[in-house]
Amino acid sequence: MAATMVSSAGALLAMLNESHPQLKQHALYNLNKFVDQFWPEISTSVPLIESLYEDEEFDRHQRQLAALVVSKVFCYLGDLNDSLSYALGAGSLFDVSEDSDYVHSLLAKAIDEYASLKAKATESNAEAANVDPRLEAIVERMLDKCIMDGKHQQAMGIAIECRRLDKLEEAITRSDNVHGTLSYCINVSHAFVSRREYRCEVLHLLVNVYQKLPYPDYLSICQCLMFLDEPEGVASILEKLLRSENKDDVLLAFQIAFDLVENEHQAFLLNVRDRLSVPKSQSSEMVQPKSSDPDPAQNNSSTASEDVQMTEGTSASIAIVQETDPNDAIYAERLTKIKGILSGETSIQLTLQFLYSHNKSDLLILKTIKQSVEMRNSVCHSATIYANAIMHAGTTVDTFLRDNLDWLSRATNWAKFSATAGLGVIHRGHLQQGRSLMRPYLPQGGSGGGGSPYSEGGALYALGLIHANHGKGIKQFLRDSLRSTNVEVIQHGACLGLGLAALGTADEDIYDDIKSALYTDSAVAGEAAGISMGLLMVGSASEKASEMLTYAHETQHEKIIRGLALGIALTVYGREEEADTLIEQMTRDQDPILRYGGMYALALAYRGTANNKAIRQLLHFAVSDVSDDVRRTAVLALGFVLYSEPEQTPRIVSLLSESYNPHVRYGAALAVGISCAGTGLSEAISLLEPLTSDVVDFVRQGALIAMAMVMVQMNEAGDSRVGTFRRQLEKIILDKHEDTMSKMGAILASGILDAGGRNVTIRLLSKTKHDKVTAVVGLAVFSQFWYWYPLIYFISLSFSPTAFIGLNYDLKVPKFEFLSNAKPSLFEYPKPTTVPTTTSAVKLPTAVLSTSAKAKARAKKEAEQKANAEKAAGAESSSAATNTGKEKSSSEKDADSVQVDSQPEKKAGPEPSFEILTNPARVVPAQEKFIKFMEDSRYAPVKFVPSGFVLLRDLQPTEPEVLSLTDAPSSTVSPAGGSATGQQGSASAMAVDEEPQPPQPFEYTS
Amino acid sequence: MDPQLTEVSQLFERFKAACVREDVDTGSNLLSKLKVMLTGFRSLPPLFEDTPNAIHELTLARDIYEHAVLLSVKIGDQDAFERDFFQLKPYYTDASGRLPPSSQEYMILGLNLLRLLVQNRIAEFHTELELLSPTALENPCIKHAVELEQSFMEGAYNRVLSAKQTVPYKTYDYFMDLLAKTVRDEIAGCSEKAYDYLSISDARQTLLFSSDDELLQYINEEHPEWEIKNGVVIFQKAKESAPCKEIPSLQLINQTLSYARELERIV
Repeated sequence: MAATMVSSAGALLAMLNESHPQLKQHALYNLNKFVDQFWPEISTSVPLIESLYEDEEFDRHQRQLAALVVSKVFCYLGDLNDSLSYALGAGSLFDVSEDSDYVHSLLAKAIDEYASLKAKATESNAEAANVDPRLEAIVERMLDKCIMDGKHQQAMGIAIECRRLDKLEEAITRSDNVHGTLSYCINVSHAFVSRREYRCEVLHLLVNVYQKLPYPDYLSICQCLMFLDEPEGVASILEKLLRSENKDDVLLAFQIAFDLVENEHQAFLLNVRDRLSVPKSQSSEMVQPKSSDPDPAQNNSSTASEDVQMTEGTSASIAIVQETDPNDAIYAERLTKIKGILSGETSIQLTLQFLYSHNKSDLLILKTIKQSVEMRNSVCHSATIYANAIMHAGTTVDTFLRDNLDWLSRATNWAKFSATAGLGVIHRGHLQQGRSLMRPYLPQGGSGGGGSPYSEGGALYALGLIHANHGKGIKQFLRDSLRSTNVEVIQHGACLGLGLAALGTADEDIYDDIKSALYTDSAVAGEAAGISMGLLMVGSASEKASEMLTYAHETQHEKIIRGLALGIALTVYGREEEADTLIEQMTRDQDPILRYGGMYALALAYRGTANNKAIRQLLHFAVSDVSDDVRRTAVLALGFVLYSEPEQTPRIVSLLSESYNPHVRYGAALAVGISCAGTGLSEAISLLEPLTSDVVDFVRQGALIAMAMVMVQMNEAGDSRVGTFRRQLEKIILDKHEDTMSKMGAILASGILDAGGRNVTIRLLSKTKHDKVTAVVGLAVFSQFWYWYPLIYFISLSFSPTAFIGLNYDLKVPKFEFLSNAKPSLFEYPKPTTVPTTTSAVKLPTAVLSTSAKAKARAKKEAEQKANAEKAAGAESSSAATNTGKEKSSSEKDADSVQVDSQPEKKAGPEPSFEILTNPARVVPAQEKFIKFMEDSRYAPVKFVPSGFVLLRDLQPTEPEVLSLTDAPSSTVSPAGGSATGQQGSASAMAVDEEPQPPQPFEYTS
Repeated sequence: MDPQLTEVSQLFERFKAACVREDVDTGSNLLSKLKVMLTGFRSLPPLFEDTPNAIHELTLARDIYEHAVLLSVKIGDQDAFERDFFQLKPYYTDASGRLPPSSQEYMILGLNLLRLLVQNRIAEFHTELELLSPTALENPCIKHAVELEQSFMEGAYNRVLSAKQTVPYKTYDYFMDLLAKTVRDEIAGCSEKAYDYLSISDARQTLLFSSDDELLQYINEEHPEWEIKNGVVIFQKAKESAPCKEIPSLQLINQTLSYARELERIV
């Protein structure tokens, strides 16, 4: 017989009215069982049950039961607050482990409530005494349960949210995969903990936990310590690793150093470097020549830099002890290396070599621009120079300038200034020869007799750009230049240069020098001085800000106020809540320029946090301020706040991009450009596309630049709109009737699109999700080009090379191969443009000859097939080889469909589904997820990362190593033909052939 | 047989005896004890567990509650009636598939309908009615209640009062007496709305009183707000004229204007 079901709770409710307590209890007991079903009926009797709960005479257990029933009913009625308060009354009867909707929703509510109470308690600095202990008990039960069940991630999330660090620690230590949980926790604390102080607390805890582990993950610890700004900890870890017997530990130390360098926290790195103890037996003579200072003489003469002094001092004093210990000698050697890394010189040098050897910039594009730009239009003329500088940023290739000296000489006054400064961008990172390169333009001894002040100022600025963030060797020279001149143009250049070189060092002496330049109250010099002060004090939140603010109120020059406003904003970089008072002060100011600075302060203080409060404030200013400048900046600032979550930005600014106010539209375009830079995000492109044909010229300019920033390093295979955009740029540049503003935008955009010889992208976050200070600051100052074109060069600070550079113990680049498990065409360099047949004709999108493409494909295919055959024969079951077999058929189809639009002939051979890359290789961000290391390779990476600097462990240390990337690779500038990709193809074919036995020679045409 | 069940049966016998003796106090006490004991059976609603003695226990429990209902009528305790009836109901509705129908079922259902009518809970009355099967509606007990309700709704109050003579069971008398009062209240409510005033004799007739004294007493007890002046009963009906709510026009205008302003800013 089927079980009989009750159809109503009426009987039970009636029983509640009975006088006998036992009957009431019975009724309650049963109601609790059936409440899920009959809550609508029970809801009418809630007052009755409530009175039972409040009845003092009633048995305690029954009162709790009554509370539970009421709580459930309220929960179903959607009144979670009442429900929670009754659930608390239910005490232990509220079972956190029960798997029901009621318990789930109430637990969520309870945790929310608790978290918000705790947050409030900490914010008001009061003791957490006012938190209901019953609530706390529930949350704790929940946490314990999560930990017991092995749901450590939940437990950690709750613990972090509720500020229960004790529980957090418990959750981590009791999990079975402590390393995994820890790294998860780090991610969580960066992504979801919005209060900086609290995040520091969490990270402190994590570091503690890390250190207690038997095998600490030093990479992560050091990242945490960097965030906490504790150089001592990092230094001691590094030292321990360096002193280790094991070579792997040393490699790890190097890797840590590279990772730290990637975050570009100069002051911190210097601190770490100086805290590394000097070996006893080391004499000062041995340190000096080895430490790869760019300019030792310069360094010795620097009396101001305390850091340097300290190292020298200690080494000199210990130099008396002359005992030779082999261990110490090894340590000394390693120390030299790591100091080289920490100072950034090693990575800069390697990057420079990479960018130089892999430079694929297309001179033809520049040539076209140069020809189409009108002679007398100085804006476009200098825009072309800017574009050239950006295109060759860091490659040291200045062929274009040398070929067109005549044309270049048309630059006068400030154009000359920026033309000279452009050299700095091109030679960025050329630390050793920077000064000798710039010597012809630099002020010659004292009164600046020879060159024009513009080129001299530009040269000083260029020096700053070359030494940006690594200005140890050049600071003194720049200071001297600043002091010895009273020409405002030179002062301008020197201030900017000094700011760049001493970025974030908060050096008092330099500050005083710049301040004296500021107090000359010259508009030109003062503007640069203001920015420079900010650069110097980046993220220091020092008292200087109020000093600067006072001067900004005193001076009459708008330029100076603007420079100072930006400078003040820079000082609060990354300070989040700490900056709130200053931001408040600035955003309430009468002067729109200071409010404008306030927007930047908001942007930089909350950079990359996606903090809701900051976003709300910015949106408010974006629609309510009276000044167009402030509104534009407010929207633009959104880009900085949101760059850690680029997907959000297009959504948030999409309404603003349709604003009637062109300034707001411009801001929206740049906001998307900044936050989605280098991502190629489809939504971002869709949002920018209509703006590139806006009715207002400067909106078009902004949209074109932003679009280029988003699309940097993408090719047509990634998104077909890239090709469209390139053609659009060309059209705008060639069009005689296009107005100057958008023409300039288009020229700059073509520069950015092919930045750094097509080997760099704009990246504001390091791989460990830390913000890259230099990059963010660079973009922030770059966005000032609205007022002052030479600031465009600051964008070069945000370029980071998209390279995989593997290094061995000697920090050399060995020959090493790895796999990119995707079709090569997806990530290859864009095809070089070809010479147009007629001058007026609009060029076809991709005029690659079908024959060469076919030949290329054939060559590739042959090489690949051969490689496959050999691999199979060699019985090396490499994963790649098996993959190709399977993917072959599918890739054939894909290849066909991909090539349809570019080539009318469908006979093109199938494209391989993978590509073998040789160290050092270009790995674009989108490609990173396809990178695989081969198991049978000679080298194994210390840490699996698909790009950047990676230390390689040599598995066959006895064999001689083959190094690649020597200082001067032979072919550098790609000829303006279709052979660039052909080379690529042949290179990869060669690479495949090298692993097994030497193959039969084969023919390929290019 | 289960000892507990035996004990309940014995207690029930004593309870029935008390009912017959009309010994209300003993009856109530015994009933209370019985109810507590019934909570011990797991076969009863709402659990309906399938125990070996389930049928027996269910039947017994039903009998007990039926008697409880009748007892409450005897005492004239409407609350107790409602309580007991609701507890009895699952035996009719949910357990109907397992138990032979009770002979008292329709009588008790009819009583409940009557109670709802007396308490003027017409909506619930109809809800209950909807739950009954067509055959049940044919039953004289139910039919009686339905007809009463119809007359009540039509306003044929005399028919309601005369129906007292045709009650199917003697137990109905209690409610029928009460019904007369309900009818009077209805009439009073209607007259209040319909007339400004009535002469005392008219009022007496309308309210179905046999003498003026009764009328005056009634007015004193139930409707002290009525006024008796010059042989006329005056109903104060002008007091309810709830003013319609004022439209907060100013606020609305302000709001709309601010919206417009905001829109202009954004777009």
